[in-house]
Amino acid sequence: MPADPRPAAPRAVDLGSFGLRQCAFFFFLIPFLLHADPSRPTLPAEERTNGKHTLAAVEKLKPLTIECAARIESLLGRSICTATIVGEDGYVLMKASEVPELHKVRIEFSDGRKAELREVHRETRLDLLLAQAVGITGLRAVSFGGAHSLTFGQWLCSVADAGKETRIGIVSAKFRRIPGEGAAMGIRMDEKAPKAGHGVRIVGIASDSPAEVAGLQKDDVLITIAGEKVSLSSRVHDIVNKRQPGEIIDISYLRKDKEEACRVRLASRSKVLQNWEGEDFANGGVSLRSDNFPDVLQHSIPLHPIDMGGPVATLEGKVVGINIARVDRVTTFALPVEAFWAEAQQWIKADRHPPKAVPAQ
Amino acid sequence: MRTSFHLLLLVVLLSGRAYAAEQRQSLDKAPKTDITELLKIQKDVQKLLPKVRPALVAIQTGGGTASGVIISADGLLLTAAHVPNGPGKEMRIVLEDGTVTTAKSLGLDEKTDAALAQLKDRGKPWPFVTLSREVTKAQPGEWCFALGHPGGYDKSRGPVLRVGKIIKQTANSLHSDCVLMGGDSGGPLFNFNGEVIGIHSQIWEGRDQNVHVSMAPFLRSWEAMQKSQVIKTWGIGAGGYLGVATVMNDSLDLEVADVIEGSPALKAGIRAGDVVLSVNGEAMTDQQQFSATVRARAAGDTLKLKLRTHGKEREVSVKLAQKPQEEG
Repeated sequence: MPADPRPAAPRAVDLGSFGLRQCAFFFFLIPFLLHADPSRPTLPAEERTNGKHTLAAVEKLKPLTIECAARIESLLGRSICTATIVGEDGYVLMKASEVPELHKVRIEFSDGRKAELREVHRETRLDLLLAQAVGITGLRAVSFGGAHSLTFGQWLCSVADAGKETRIGIVSAKFRRIPGEGAAMGIRMDEKAPKAGHGVRIVGIASDSPAEVAGLQKDDVLITIAGEKVSLSSRVHDIVNKRQPGEIIDISYLRKDKEEACRVRLASRSKVLQNWEGEDFANGGVSLRSDNFPDVLQHSIPLHPIDMGGPVATLEGKVVGINIARVDRVTTFALPVEAFWAEAQQWIKADRHPPKAVPAQ
Repeated sequence: MRTSFHLLLLVVLLSGRAYAAEQRQSLDKAPKTDITELLKIQKDVQKLLPKVRPALVAIQTGGGTASGVIISADGLLLTAAHVPNGPGKEMRIVLEDGTVTTAKSLGLDEKTDAALAQLKDRGKPWPFVTLSREVTKAQPGEWCFALGHPGGYDKSRGPVLRVGKIIKQTANSLHSDCVLMGGDSGGPLFNFNGEVIGIHSQIWEGRDQNVHVSMAPFLRSWEAMQKSQVIKTWGIGAGGYLGVATVMNDSLDLEVADVIEGSPALKAGIRAGDVVLSVNGEAMTDQQQFSATVRARAAGDTLKLKLRTHGKEREVSVKLAQKPQEEG
C-alpha cells in the first residue's frame, strides 16, 4: 500500500458556486521539450486539420462565405471584427459589444470597397448590431439555412482572419442558453474607505482583465466612475455590474497622490473571475462579452475575437449562424439563425420603409 | 557491449530522420482533401459516438476538475497521472447523465502521466470502450477524435467533441490538433475503430500543441498499475528490452546486425544476419517501426518474431527483459 498519511481527497469543488477563483482545472503546462523528440516525423502544417491541403475541401464555398463577409477596421486600418452581409444594399450584422463607437470604424468588403457605417439597430440581448454601409450596393448577401437541424459532430466552416480565410471545425456541444452574470473590470477593492475619506483603493487586479489592460494598478485609489464620485466599494461594484460587457467607462483615480484618468472596456464577469490568476493562459484571446445569450451553437472552429460577427456555414454553403463569442481555447459560440434572423429582417424592413410621418392634426 | 547499444541508438536516430524526410516527400504529393472525405470522417465519428460516449466521465477532486474513460465492464478507468496525483485517492465521478459515484486511484506513471483508477462497484456492468494495443499505428496524418469535459462538467452543455489529426507519435505520447484545455485532462482520444489511443495530458499555447499519453505506458506497466504501484522507472523511450541492433541491408530487409550478450534475444537464439520479417504477426518494414513495436511492450511480455535465417523462415518466442540499468 502506498504511504499517504493524508485523508482521502476532500469533496470536489462545487462548480455552481462562483468564488473569486471559480475552480481549478487540471492541466499540465510544462516545457514542450519533454515530448519534443525531434527525430520523430511531424505532420507538416499544411496537412493538419486547418492546413491548406485540408482546407482545399471548402475552397469552393468561398463565394458563399468569404464573399458574404466583410472586415471592420479602425480608422487607422487595424482589424476590429467581422461583419456578415445580410442585404445587397449594404446591410450588415456584427457583434455589438465589439463596436461600441461605430463612428470610429469603417467597413472593407472582399472586393476592396470601403465605406462608413450607419447604425440601424443595436440589440443588446443578442449582442448584435445592424448597420448599413453608406453608399454601397450590389453586395452578395448570405443565404441562411436552419441551425437546429445540425447534428453533433457535423462539419462547419467559418470566415477567419477578419474575413479573409476559411477554417473548419465541428458542432462540438449541445445548443443551449448561456446565462449572464453582468460585467466586471477585474479589480478587488479595499472595503474600508482610505484615510482621506473618499475614493476606493484597489487591492488586487485580475490577470489580463479590462482593468489591467487599461493600466490600473494595485494601490490606485478610484475617485470617479462614469462621472460619479465613489467612496464605497459596493457602489463601484453596482455601477460596473449593471453595465454591459464591451461598454466603455471613464475612470479617474489617484496614483501616488497624483490624479490620473483612463477608459476601461468592461468584460463578462464570469470570464474575468475564471481567469483571475491567468488559469486560461492558452486561449489565444477571448471576446469581452462571452455570456448572456438566449441560444448558442457551440463549435470547435479555431477562431479569434476579431472573427466574431462573421458567418458560420455548413459544407453545403448554407449559413447557419453568426459567430458571437470566442470563449476559451476550445469554445466558440455562434448565434443560430433561429435566434435572430426573423427579428433582424424586421429591423431591415423598418429601416428600408420608415413609417410615413403623420401630419399634425 | 556498450558499443552495440550505441550502435542501436545511432541507427534508430538516423533511420528516424530518413523516415521523416520520406514522409514529408510523400505528403507533398498527397492529394488534397475534398468534401467527400470530410463527410466520410463525419459519418464515421457520428456512428461511433453513441458507443464511446457513455464511457466518458468527469472527475472532481479537491484540486480541480478533469476527465477519464472507463475501459472495462468492472469499472477500470484510465486518466492522467496528474489528476489523482497519487495512488489510493478517492475521486468524485460524474457520468454524462449527472449520476454521481466515486473511484479510487490505482497505480500511475508520473513521467508519462498515465494513471489507472477503479470505479466503485454498482452491481451491474459499466459502459466501456476498448483500448488500442497497436500503439504504433497511430501515425501522423491519421484522423482522430477527442472527448472531454473542458472547464468541468456542465450538464446543459454535455461532453465536448473535437475532431482532428495526429501530428506526431513519440515513445509515450501522441500530439494532435484536437484542441484541449483545462478539465480535459484524463479524457480519451479515439481512433476510427472507436478504440482509445490517447489520454489528454498537456497543452502548450499553440492550438496545434495538444499532448495525449499514448497507450504504450499503460500497456507496458499494466500489472504494476493495477497493483497501485507508482511507476518511476519508465523514462521517455524506455520499454521492453530485446537486445538487438538492426540495419537495413542491401535488399532493404530489416537485418540483425548484433546481438547483445546476456540479452533475451541471444537466449532465444537470434543471431546476427537473421532477417526480421514480423513481430506478433505485424510485418516489419523499417527500423523505427521495429524499435517502437518492441518498446511498446513491457518487460515480461512475450514477442513472437518471424525470422529468416539462411533463406529459411522460422519463428522464435522472446520474453522481454528490463533494460539493464548500467546501460540506461
